[in-house]
Order: sequence, then C-alpha cells, then structure tokens
Amino acid sequence: MTSVQAGRVSAGLQKVLRQLPVSGLERRAIEAGEIDAVIDYGSANVIVFPAARRALRDNARRAAAAERKAALEIPGRNSMLAALPRAEYRRLLPALEQVMLKPGDVLHETGVPIRHVYFPVDCVICLLTQIDGQQLFATGLVGHEGMVGLPVALEAGASPVRAVVEVGGTALRVGARRFANELRSGLHLQRQLCSCALAKLNQARQIAACMASHRFEQRLACWLLMISDRAESPDLLLTHEHLAAVLNVRRESVTAASGVLRAHGLIGYSRGRISILDRKGLEAESCRCYQPLPLRLRGAQQCLPVRVAQ
Amino acid sequence: MTRRAAKASPAPHTTVVVLRLYVAGDAPNSLQAIANLEAICAEHLKGGHRLEVVDILEDPRRAMAEGVLVTPSLNKLLPLPATQVVGNLSDKKRVLLALGITPHVA
Repeated sequence: MTSVQAGRVSAGLQKVLRQLPVSGLERRAIEAGEIDAVIDYGSANVIVFPAARRALRDNARRAAAAERKAALEIPGRNSMLAALPRAEYRRLLPALEQVMLKPGDVLHETGVPIRHVYFPVDCVICLLTQIDGQQLFATGLVGHEGMVGLPVALEAGASPVRAVVEVGGTALRVGARRFANELRSGLHLQRQLCSCALAKLNQARQIAACMASHRFEQRLACWLLMISDRAESPDLLLTHEHLAAVLNVRRESVTAASGVLRAHGLIGYSRGRISILDRKGLEAESCRCYQPLPLRLRGAQQCLPVRVAQ
Repeated sequence: MTRRAAKASPAPHTTVVVLRLYVAGDAPNSLQAIANLEAICAEHLKGGHRLEVVDILEDPRRAMAEGVLVTPSLNKLLPLPATQVVGNLSDKKRVLLALGITPHVA
C-alpha cells in the first residue's frame, strides 16, 4: 500500500472546511492529505483541493497534448496538408475537425453553398455532374491527394458538382468561411490549391474525353484503378448498380465488362465487393487516361509526415 | 466516470460485497484509492464483490444523495451494516475492518 502526499490545506480552505460538517475521521483524512475534494452541500459545488486541482489540470493538459499530437499525425495522410509548412499548418490545425464518412454520404449538393471543405485521409469522394437537371455522372475523384470544396478557394461559393463519398473513411474538414480566411494569408495553401485545381480540371477533361472515345471495359478498368489508388486498397466495396450510375451506363454493361475483366483474371467480384487481382494486367487493359498517382502521393504514409507530424 | 465490475462469487464467499467508491476524476488520491481497493478486493474478496466507481466531478448530486462529503470515499452497501471509509484507502487494516474482513481469516 502506498499513499499520496497532498499539499497542505491553505488557510482559506481551512476556513471553508470549518463551515462544513466534516466528522473527526474526515478531518483527519483531510489533514493527512488523503482527500481530493469535498462537497459543499449548501451550494452543491465540489471544492477540489489545490494538489488535486493541479494534478487534474496537468492530466487534462497531457490529454490535450496527446490529442493535438494525434491530430498532427493524421494529416500526414493528406498530401495537401502534409505539404504545408509547419507554421501554416499549425494555424489551420485548430479549425480542422476529424470526421468519419460513410459510403453514400453527400458532402455538397449541386448549386448549394459549400459549408465545409474536406481533406480526405483514407476515404474517396466522387464528384458527380448533373446533366439535363436529373442525371448525374462522375467527373472526378478525390482522395488523400487533394481536397473537396475547391469552389470556396475560387470564391465561387456554390458547388457545381455533387460530392458523394465513394469509399468510406476518415477526412478532416474545416468550415468554408474559416478556410477562405486562412487562404488569404496562407501563401503555400494558395499554391497547393492552384495545383489541386489544375489537377481536377485536367482530370475532368480526361474523363470527358475518355467517355467519348474509349471502350467501356477500358473506362471501367481505369475507374477501378483510380479508386484503388486513392483508397490504397485492392478491395473495393462497389456494386455494379452503383458503378452503372456513376459511369452513366446501363447495369448490364457493367456486368458484361466486369465479366470480361474477371475472365482475364484481372479482377474478382462477389456480393458488392470488387477486388483487383492483377494490377499490372488491369493497367494494361485500361485506357491511357489512367494516370497513377505520383509515387510521392501513393506512398504518402512513408514520405509525408516528415514535415508535419513533429 | 462510472465503472462497474461484477463477477460471480467463488467459495468461500457466499455473499457478494457491494461497494461504491466516490472519486474526484483522476486526482491522485482518487486513483490511489481505486488501485488500493482493487488490490484488496483481488486479495481478500477474490471476485466476490461488485464495485461501482462514481465520479463526483461529473455527478455531485449522486454523492449528495448518499450523504458523501469528501472523496475518495468508500461505501460498503452490502452486506449490512453499511460502512464508510474515507481517504486513499492506504490503511489496509481500516479498509478490511470496514469490509467486515479479518486479515487472519482472509
């Protein structure tokens, strides 16, 4: 058995204690420094003794520091945040909020003002463009290499696309207004956003050209590779029906194309799960529109925390 | 912080000892009281007890309803008679006495 030596009871506290109906045993325990707090029944308040208060404050400070450290380590998985200089990132950090996203969650609706900007960590977001006021099809994918909510940076406000979670996971988000404020003073963040905007523009152009000119098997192979790169997993929870909707084809076309890829041993699928079995083979089958994420980004976990997670 | 530990009572303890420990968050004496009580229970009650830890920083009214004035404070609710020990429970003899256990028997 060990005991904790608490600090002496101050004169002020002694005065308060005199007014409380403490018994002899309780008073002896207080004097021995074995008591952390007393309850003042008159005010229904808990009076925490100085030594206990200091310990509680230290514990809370340590817990907050551990939480901050954990939060600092997460953006190592988002390339845009990881590429920011430490000072700029630290300024953004208090505004960042970690969220868990489920497949099908809608982050922005078309034409509606954007409330939050998202930095995916291990989730994948699909950007869907509306045509004829009804039909939606995929014109972009965002993973840990980028962010969702570029119109905020371009001061457009409303989103021109619908952003839907394709693969669930973690993301960091920040309020749109706060992000716009940070952007004005963050030179590196501005540069990152310019690169991201250019990449998204190129991706949308490529997808549009690909839709017009390539066979569906090639497009499907390309799409699966793009999702797999961003999810960093060969196993994807995607149904044929969902793929048909986002790629703007009939479900039968997805089933037929998947059948061809499976017959070549490139993918396997069952019950809403598609697995890439032969990545090189699938890349060969895909059209040239497939642009692998640069190694720097694909190996983000190994390469990026150096600058941020300190 | 409310924690419950309930286990089946092995021989020779046929009666489950019901205990409630009032603490003030993770303050030093409170942590010490939990550790000391768990050690005593493991040695002398061998699982034949039910312990509930109540944090008065989260729920002071619950402590007030039971007439608790200081923390850490251990209340033995069952078997009767109900008893109370205050402090960080480092005085093992006093805790055993309150629990109705004589060291040489245990």
